Amino acid sequence: MSKEQEIAAAAPTAETLAPLIAGTIFEGKVRHFVTLGSTSAAAMQAGGDGAEAGTVWIAEEQSAGKGRAGHTWQSDPRDGLYCSVLLRPKLSPADVIITSLAAGLAVVEAVHEATGLWGDLRWPNDVLLGNKKFCGILTELNAEVTRVRYAVIGMGINVNQPKFPPELREIATSLRIEAGKAFSRVAVAAALLNALDGEMKALEAGVERARERILRRFEERSSYCRNAPVWVEEDGGYEGITRGLDARGFLQVETAKGMRTVLSGGVRKR
Amino acid sequence: MTERTKGTKSKTAPPQQAAPRQNMNQNEIKELIEFLVEKDIAEFELERGEIKLRVKRGYAVVQAPQAAPAAYAPAPAAVAAAPSAKAEAAPVVESGVEWIKSPIVGSYYEASSPGAEPFVKKGDKVAKGQVLCIVEAMKLMNEIESEFAGEVVEILASNGQPVEYGQPLFKIRVH
Repeated sequence: MSKEQEIAAAAPTAETLAPLIAGTIFEGKVRHFVTLGSTSAAAMQAGGDGAEAGTVWIAEEQSAGKGRAGHTWQSDPRDGLYCSVLLRPKLSPADVIITSLAAGLAVVEAVHEATGLWGDLRWPNDVLLGNKKFCGILTELNAEVTRVRYAVIGMGINVNQPKFPPELREIATSLRIEAGKAFSRVAVAAALLNALDGEMKALEAGVERARERILRRFEERSSYCRNAPVWVEEDGGYEGITRGLDARGFLQVETAKGMRTVLSGGVRKR
Repeated sequence: MTERTKGTKSKTAPPQQAAPRQNMNQNEIKELIEFLVEKDIAEFELERGEIKLRVKRGYAVVQAPQAAPAAYAPAPAAVAAAPSAKAEAAPVVESGVEWIKSPIVGSYYEASSPGAEPFVKKGDKVAKGQVLCIVEAMKLMNEIESEFAGEVVEILASNGQPVEYGQPLFKIRVH
């Protein structure tokens, strides 16, 4: 095994991550699995059972990885990073939705730190390289009207997949495909947990200021945010030109019938 | 801004007022004002039965990200409008009934995935903590649980519909 293969093969376990995530809210709370149905399902279950905030689930392989609207997420053994974190933020549900954008930013910055590549954010939080997706994020919330009980951010990052099946080749990519070399998943995971730690601490220190900063950075890191002709998969589907984010982080799209706010749908460039 | 609340002036009722009821109580007026503030709607008029409600908000700040928090205190005009409407409206009080409201702005889903069985149907008995629906915003899926044990007597949103913060989603007859 070459040095590069060894680095790529190292698993992001509690032991390998421990020295790299000291001082974060995740320190001492990483649970690593060879196979898990879904890291987010496990985290939501544990959240309901009272697990500690900051607990992290990482799986080498997911047999039932989930995406939005019942989409599945292909999880190849050992090539990807499949990671869910349990949070109990002291934020209202209305304030906590910004973590969806913050998680995307954390991935972009972590990937840059670990690989030198700058991902492009597709609202709300897909991360792309060369218009192909390498990271998907799904956040789940358990909340009362005024209080968040717990939230789980689930992230799937294609790190070392050498190639994808034909039906995915045009829309999916990995860091390895884009850079032409394999990367340490330990380094990517550590950078990600550190970046998430920073985002959550900033939000809890002052949500208004943190939100403004998130919105500004999101626009800097997204080619989709402004003046992009897009198709919006919401409300039967419609097309328009993106006009930035509103104060809450919702994407504004100018259509023939006026400005519309995208609440939940994905967007595609036309 | 969604299509249902075009521009900064609106003469139509916001979505949570869609139920064809003639009267508004103080809470509903308060919610309406909060909705207008959240949506940044500057002027609003509503005529329904005996009620005539006019809300006009004013604020000097035009700096986008800070506008929302600065505007959170409803302008005096709005507060002044409320009592007169209240005087004419007979408050609707139903005992033994609770409303489940949306904690976030988002899209309402009746099932965990498209094509799956709805979490609950009208007439279903629900337990405290049982999931009733999902509201999604920015790919954040919020499972809404029932805060009460009881019977679902009304479902006020339809699958895929946009819902506002504080909008009633379910009417529960509490057991």
